[in-house]
Amino acid sequence: MSAASPVEAPPSLLGITIRRATILGRFFLVYGTVLSTLLAALLTVSAGAGFVSGFPLFLPVFGAVGSMGGLTVFSNDRMKGALEYFLAYGLSPQRLFTNVLVTALVLGTIIVGVSSTVGVGVYLARGHPLNGTLALSLGGYGIPMTYASAAFATIVGMYWTALSSPRSGLNSPIGLAPLIGVLPPVSVLTTLSLLASAGTVTSAEVTEIALLAVLGVAAVTVALLALSGRLLRSERLLSPT
Amino acid sequence: MTPRPNPASPESPSFGAVEVVCESVSSGYLESEVLRDVSFTVSAPGVYVVLGPNGAGKTTLFRTLAGILRPSRGHVRIRYTDPSAAGARPQLHYLSHLDGMPDGLTVGEALELYCRVERAGPADLERVLDQLAIREFSHEFVARLSAGQRKRVSIARLFLRPRAIYLLDEPTANLDPKVAREIRTLILELARDRIVLYSSHNLFEAREIGQYVVALKGGRVALFDRIENLRGRRLVIGVRLLEPSDHLAGWTREGEYYTRELSGPEAVPALLHDLDVHGVRVRELKEMNNPLEELFA
Repeated sequence: MSAASPVEAPPSLLGITIRRATILGRFFLVYGTVLSTLLAALLTVSAGAGFVSGFPLFLPVFGAVGSMGGLTVFSNDRMKGALEYFLAYGLSPQRLFTNVLVTALVLGTIIVGVSSTVGVGVYLARGHPLNGTLALSLGGYGIPMTYASAAFATIVGMYWTALSSPRSGLNSPIGLAPLIGVLPPVSVLTTLSLLASAGTVTSAEVTEIALLAVLGVAAVTVALLALSGRLLRSERLLSPT
Repeated sequence: MTPRPNPASPESPSFGAVEVVCESVSSGYLESEVLRDVSFTVSAPGVYVVLGPNGAGKTTLFRTLAGILRPSRGHVRIRYTDPSAAGARPQLHYLSHLDGMPDGLTVGEALELYCRVERAGPADLERVLDQLAIREFSHEFVARLSAGQRKRVSIARLFLRPRAIYLLDEPTANLDPKVAREIRTLILELARDRIVLYSSHNLFEAREIGQYVVALKGGRVALFDRIENLRGRRLVIGVRLLEPSDHLAGWTREGEYYTRELSGPEAVPALLHDLDVHGVRVRELKEMNNPLEELFA
């Protein structure tokens, strides 16, 4: 028998949660990775320099959808009673939430990593220069918005899962969370398109709007995480069956 | 005031002190209070069967004892510690009525996950694979297991590390009789020197496994006593015959059994004598009613 002191901190389940998320959420992950990579490749080939402005705007949409594996694990664990087991062994709701949120960010990294590497690689291979605009649009908006949207969709999905009765299909939190996740980037896309068509937006303003959107979504996500311990008591994580 | 001892190591549970205390506990969920003013104290090792009809509060009681639900009134103490405190966790094992098996893993991986949570080592895992006879399907995905196999794996985690107190919420529900019996045998072994609180709907199972009964009714403790002290208000004896007999013509018939109500167990020898004198060839004689049934009435 292993010796252990009676009072020990609960172990980290992050690694195994990430692994389970790639298995249970493989459809989302493959969908997000393949489509964003295809989009990146197509934009570099067809639009050339348009890749710089187009890809960062669309990347968060696929990132949000593709990182639903974490939420899938959370929802599955709640239904099967695994969350109840973890709670009984000392893991707090906030810690379980954080675990899933970090998992979503890791899945987002896979999508960002693969599609950006392919997109930028093809872009450079076709003779386009690596300039500050590309770095700014990708590093200042595309990548951070992907993380923010993925985390936002996941935390809203977890709240929804915890507060709702079990449902499946498109009407379930997992069915609707991707739509919530794409809401911020699509809103930014729509706002910028409207402003551009009206001819009232400068490139500095575009950057400002994009940055504000990223910060806003990230702030809401962090606030929801911080409040999870207070708003969602342990009983909300128990299986309703 | 009772001095507060240091919690004993879970590796060597020692008894004699008060182990589980519920003191005027009311508990439940946001929408409703399920347990009302529940009080009992458990200190001796053994199986304490928590009985009650649906909605009586069995699962709520277990969740409260496990520290998942906080009492709205009263106190719960596990070895003198609040169950939600870190110090209480290593004192108890909790098995919910759901199997709690994480999907997306094989049985071996799921048990490795439990090992992480339980702070158990590879040797513990190897031992449990054989002890629970799950090695043969340890490479199967959890989602592909039968209900019995899932329950067996779920119960395996109870054997990774010894604890002083086991909270088992319907561990044999939905299992076939053979698996249920195997699991009861394992639990009885556990209970030799530990406290096992075991909820069940099955009155016959309760009599088979339990030394004590905690009957819940409407969220309150209706009875807490040794099972052997329970005497039914009625004793109905059933007799199954090897061949028909006119002597039992006036008895009530329940399936293959001729039944008759007696004044008490002391009347059984006289009944047997009477059957023998009249040449009645008895194949089986058994108690038809279970005194625990009356707790549900």
